[in-house]
Amino acid sequence: MQASRARLFKEYKEVQREKMADPDIQLVCDDSNIFKWTALIKGPSETPYEGGIFQLAFAVPEQYPLQPPQVRFLTKIFHPNVHFKTGEICLDILKNAWSPAWTLQSVCRAIIALMAHPEPDSPLNCDSGNLLRSGDIRGYQSMARMYTRLAAMPKKG
Amino acid sequence: MDENDLNSDDEIAIDDDCYYDFFIKGDDPMDSEDAKSREGSGQKYTILNQADIRKRQEDVIAAISTVLSVSGATATILLRHFNWSVGKVHEAWFADEDVVRKRVGLLNYEKQLSDVNAGDRATCGICFDVYPRYRIFSVGCGHPFCRECWGGYISSAINDGPGCLTLRCPDVSCSAAADRDIIDMLALSDDDKKKYSQYLLRSYVEESKQIKWCPGPDCEYAVEFDAGGGGDDSWDVSCRCSYSFCWNCLEDSHRPVDCQTVSSWLSKNTDESETKIWILARTKPCPRCQKSIEKNGGCMHMTCNPPCRYEFCWICLGDWYNHETCNRYNEAADVEADKNREDAEKHVTKYTHYFDRWAANHSSRQKAIAEMQRVQSVQIRKLIETQGKAEYELLFITDAWEQIIGCRQVLKWTYAYGYYLPENEHTKRRLFEFLQGEAETGLERLHECAELELNQFLVDYGSPLEGFKEFEVKLKGLTMVTRKYFEKLVRALENGLSEVQVSGTEEIGQNFPMASAEG
Ligand SMILES: [Zn+2]
Ligand SMILES: [Zn+2]
Ligand SMILES: [Zn+2]
Ligand SMILES: [Zn+2]
Ligand SMILES: [Zn+2]
Ligand SMILES: [Zn+2]
Repeated sequence: MQASRARLFKEYKEVQREKMADPDIQLVCDDSNIFKWTALIKGPSETPYEGGIFQLAFAVPEQYPLQPPQVRFLTKIFHPNVHFKTGEICLDILKNAWSPAWTLQSVCRAIIALMAHPEPDSPLNCDSGNLLRSGDIRGYQSMARMYTRLAAMPKKG
Repeated sequence: MDENDLNSDDEIAIDDDCYYDFFIKGDDPMDSEDAKSREGSGQKYTILNQADIRKRQEDVIAAISTVLSVSGATATILLRHFNWSVGKVHEAWFADEDVVRKRVGLLNYEKQLSDVNAGDRATCGICFDVYPRYRIFSVGCGHPFCRECWGGYISSAINDGPGCLTLRCPDVSCSAAADRDIIDMLALSDDDKKKYSQYLLRSYVEESKQIKWCPGPDCEYAVEFDAGGGGDDSWDVSCRCSYSFCWNCLEDSHRPVDCQTVSSWLSKNTDESETKIWILARTKPCPRCQKSIEKNGGCMHMTCNPPCRYEFCWICLGDWYNHETCNRYNEAADVEADKNREDAEKHVTKYTHYFDRWAANHSSRQKAIAEMQRVQSVQIRKLIETQGKAEYELLFITDAWEQIIGCRQVLKWTYAYGYYLPENEHTKRRLFEFLQGEAETGLERLHECAELELNQFLVDYGSPLEGFKEFEVKLKGLTMVTRKYFEKLVRALENGLSEVQVSGTEEIGQNFPMASAEG
């Protein structure tokens, strides 16, 4: 508990100091609880998520960083490795490939990389996974783009 | 098991997985006592306790460490990666050391600690605190982590399971292995170290090809099997915990039936509606009064509850006293009884016939094992008192029970054998049923005598009861006769009942009613 708090506090200071270092990620700690964080990440360019801003919620366990944080999308996203309803993410480093050297910031970077390179073979969103696996890239892209426009872009007007 | 005699006089030849290939001669510590005693007695397996296993493991580690000039910890990583096969480690290492090093995460150089704060302090990559150099550790790759963070990292990996044996540097892009020296140095508690070394030990047994854990309940022994050791084809192993099993398939010992038959039979049993059949195997209606009666003794001689007291055979429900053998499956009678029955139904009837007898012998054996324990712990002592005998004079009783337990096992598996014996092999079937019937009858007599006739001598009448000597002679005789019958049965089945082709064999053909069987 003490160790995780200390570590999160270090990450917090680092985030404050490096605020502008990575313009694609904006990590924010809950005012009253250092174990709750949210992040806004930019959809990577040349993907159907480009132009969208996606919100992630982090729940950090007391054994952090020996155990990984739980992360999910709060913004709806059409992606083979993200559960369409719950926003749960299937990513190895958040499970068995976790290492305590990961930080919340580097987890965000890994999630951005996952958005650019979906893994259709371990799908949490079967519709999306099936489109990709059957080679219907355009079908997948147009669905993903539609949801990006609907859910991840500021409403015009 | 066709590589029969790989043994030469003073060498123990094992397949290439073993390092005897490389260290047969000289002062190799493994070229030692148990291996030799095993060869001498013709026994093809060695029972290993935890200390034996550890010793063997340390011996192979030492061997690799010497030949490759690497640390013991490095040798451990290599061996574990190559399933503890010294041969494979050598082969891969001498073919391309760099590839092997890369694959298992061994660096061939030491990097200095990499750190943004150059100088004599470094930042731990987990807690991000800054430490003086002496409190920072790396596995040779230069990624710095403090002692506390290493401890937590190691402990969490160990508690996650045997995956800790392939622990890597915590840095996310680094694959340098964290070996057992690091664990020893940095683990937080002795408990963690103990768990780690237990995983290591288990890995040696579970990943090597020649050693398996004894599947006996709560047993901690492992059994090393030397399949090239000559002798007969049996895989039977008798562990020091008293559990006997087939080393090849890990099921109960199943001589004279082969592993394939056992596995087909067992999966068949789970397929058939098992609950129904198990109930069938444990309670039956008395053929006279129809009251359900449960089998509790081991032998097949049943006596219904008072007032009925009808005595019948558990298996065929026939009158016990007008009853010779009932092991024979009478297909003709079945067909006769109902010509219109579907094939499937016929199959079920046939299966039930064999399953019933297989299961009855199984549970009879379990009961005999329990009974033998009671005999050893209670009855022998009573007999010493009531009959004034010395313990060694009563050994014939435990001999009888051992014989019963062994025979029940054989008899049980012969019913699986019988199920798969093709029905059109008439002569083989007849020989089989004859031998099985002979053995079974002998065993029933022995079992009944040991179970029921002993009881009268347990009561203390103040002086030894007459007839004990007769009992002894009878039990000894039955034990011997039954052993002979079973030896004959086992031999015949292991030869695939081949005596049938070679007509006129002396011993087995002797009592076998070849001529009259056609009728
Ligand atoms: Zn640290
Ligand atoms: Zn490293
Ligand atoms: Zn055992
Ligand atoms: Zn077997
Ligand atoms: Zn009755
Ligand atoms: Zn009968």
